[in-house]
Parts: sequence; C-alpha cells; structure tokens
Amino acid sequence: MNRIQNCIKITTRVGALDLQVDSRFSNAFIIISGENGAGKTTLLRCLAGLEQAAGQLQFGNKIYMDSIAGFELPSGHRQLGCVWTDAALLPWLSIEKNILLGTESVDSAWLAKLADKFEISSFMQRKPHMLSTGEAQRAALVRAIYKRPSVLLLDEPFSAQAPAIRQRLRLSLKSMQAAMQIPVLMVSHDVEDARVLAHHHWRMREGKLLVDVAHIGMQQEMQA
Amino acid sequence: MLESLFISLQLALITTGILLLIALPLAYVLAFKTFAGRTVLEVIVALPLVLPPTVLGYFVLVMIAPDSLLGSAWQSMFDSSLAFSFSGMVVASVLYSLPFAVQPMQQALRAIPDSWLEMARTQGLNLKQTLLQVMLPAAKGGVLVAAALSFAHTMGEFGVVLMVGGSIPGETKVASIALFEMVEMQQQSEAWILALILLAVSFVMLSVVYAMNRQGLNVEIGK
Repeated sequence: MNRIQNCIKITTRVGALDLQVDSRFSNAFIIISGENGAGKTTLLRCLAGLEQAAGQLQFGNKIYMDSIAGFELPSGHRQLGCVWTDAALLPWLSIEKNILLGTESVDSAWLAKLADKFEISSFMQRKPHMLSTGEAQRAALVRAIYKRPSVLLLDEPFSAQAPAIRQRLRLSLKSMQAAMQIPVLMVSHDVEDARVLAHHHWRMREGKLLVDVAHIGMQQEMQA
Repeated sequence: MLESLFISLQLALITTGILLLIALPLAYVLAFKTFAGRTVLEVIVALPLVLPPTVLGYFVLVMIAPDSLLGSAWQSMFDSSLAFSFSGMVVASVLYSLPFAVQPMQQALRAIPDSWLEMARTQGLNLKQTLLQVMLPAAKGGVLVAAALSFAHTMGEFGVVLMVGGSIPGETKVASIALFEMVEMQQQSEAWILALILLAVSFVMLSVVYAMNRQGLNVEIGK
C-alpha cells in the first residue's frame, strides 16, 4: 500500500526566497519544520496553486502541474484541504455553515463525527467572532477535512491550541490520516507533533529540503 | 409639483436598478483584474465626476439623436424618439451616476481579505459560488452605499436631464427643473416646499451612506 505515488519537483522565487524542492513520497504524514523564512508556507502555497512555480506536481494519479507541458490544475480542482495561519472563517456565517460552504448536500453523520473528534460540537451554531483563536483554528481544520480532500495542507494547525488539547487533536488527526489514506503535509515546530504524527520529517533551510527523511523511510520499508 | 417629484423618484429608482446591474461587473473587473486599457476604463468611469453636466448631456443628446445609430434603432423598435424622452433621461442618468455606483463597490471588493478569497479557491468554490457566497455578502456595505449614492445623485441631477429631457411636463420635467421654473415664475411657497422635500431626501440618503461607512464598507468583519 505504501507505494511512492506523490511527486513534488518545483522551483520558484518569492521575494528573497529561492525555493527548490524535489521529493517523492507515499500517502504518508509528513511534518515540515525549519526556521522562519525557510520556505515552509511557500511550499504549501505552491502545492495549493496559490503561488506560481515551475516544475511538476503529482498527487496519486492526479497531475496538479506540469510546467513543461504548460499545464496547471486550478486550485479549485485539486481537491485540497487547507488550514492556513488565518482561519479565514466568514464572519456572517455560523461555524457549521462555514464548514459546509460550497457543498451541495450535507453528510451529517460525517460532520458530527468530525465535530466530535476535533471538539467543536459545542459551538457549531455560533458566529466566528464568538470563538477563541484556538476554536476558530479547529473549525478551519474540520472545514478542511469535511470535503474528504485528496491531500491535506496544514500550516501550523495547532499553533493556537492549549497543551492539554493538543495531544487529543494529534491522535484524532493521526487516525483520520490512517483512515483516509491521503498525504498530509503539516508545518510544525512542535517536536511532539513530529514524534506522534510524522511518518517522514522534512527539515527545510533557505528554500531547500535539508534532510528528506522520506528516502530513509522508503529504504527501511523496502528492507522490511 | 407632485408630478415632477414622481418623475424624479421613478428616474432615480430605475437608474439605480440599472446601475447596480452594470456597476457590479465593472467594479469586479476594476478591483481584481489587470489588463491593457484598465486605466482608461477607470478614467472613463470617473469622468462624470468632473465633467460639466451640460457637456455630458450634450454628448448623450448627440448619441441618442434620431439620426444617430442608437437613436434610429430605438425609433424603429419603439416608434418613438429617444431624445427628449424619459428613456433618454435614463440613459443619461446611468452614465452620469456611474462613478457613484462603481467606486464604492470597487473599494468594498478590494477590501475583502485575500485569505477569504484564497479560502474560496482552495475549498473548490466555483466563480458563481465565490461571487454570491463570499464576495457579495462581504461587499454588502459597498453595494448599499452605491445604491444610496446613485439614487441621491440622480434625484439631484439638473444640467444633464435638462439637456437630454428638455423639461416636458409630465414626461421629463423632474423636481429639480420644476423648482427652477417655480423660482423663475416667483411661486415662492411652492418652491420652498419642493426645495425642502429634495433637501430631506438628500439628507436621509447621505445619512444612510455615512452610517454604512462608519460600520465599514465590509459589514461584520468582526474581530
């Protein structure tokens, strides 16, 4: 099951940052860490199609980008689940309606399950301004997962969470990834995130992958 | 007097309705798209702010004259002249109030946080969903301000409607022109009443605009 099926091979320049990432990996949980300005968020934005880049991007059998062929799949067709540092909840909609934004039908069982797992059930009917930053962040996480995306891009999704709830969220996210069998790329500085969640741990510096532990993991898998 | 007020109201309502339909796509393009001729388009939209109303009125009159392309097409379709008619005044009013409709909407659309628009993209919302469920609710305040300003500005027209409409009683004689003629004929008491009514309408409309602006063009941004 753990075959290599995702490929990132991109280069781009954003401001002073010179991003060059070349990696292949399975549908694994990947933690990305590195200093500020190392290009972690830019990498996720390139994967989401929010930042221009050159190269190839492939997730599963879906090609997101191939700049040689001049092809780029629009963000909206990439089946993404994203959590950015700004929760970007629309203030005139309840949390539930924010999560359901753009969906045709409601899968209430799935919604209830996610709301329970990520501990937002008690404020589903409230407006975003009544929520704490941490609560808004969890709502954004549920919104990202609810659409059953093909890839999850998480930019420090636990940054505003209290320590007590973090471990429960980690376990919920871990079981979600295991059940959905999708690649998750999560930027985090928390060593506990890496310890509990990471199949692979990427470290970045000045726009490059410093240690692509994915290859080590792959070799171990092949030896086993 | 009532007749002229009624014509003014009708003109302002129809003009505002048409303007909201035209100005929204224009504001969208000006707020988000970069293209050749963008500056020219912005200047054209803003021109009525500085142009003497008689100049605008004159060009509209030339444009809709019976021997013009638009005028003759109208004539053959409806068997009536577009110049010196209520419909001709609507055409002129729409052009005259265009900047008052476009600019507040453009500002409100520009003020939508990038993170909301990026969220709409990555969540897979199509253009229609993004427009109706993200942009329009976010820019609601700007749309209301645009409507109030277009309405008030059309009520206050004088030069343009005089040039294009020609002050025909019961057809194109609007309140502002009626007031001018009352003063000329020294009907002081009627002039007083009409002037007060027009003042009140403008006062109420501007109050709406300022109340909206205080809330912010983008309502309910929250914390």
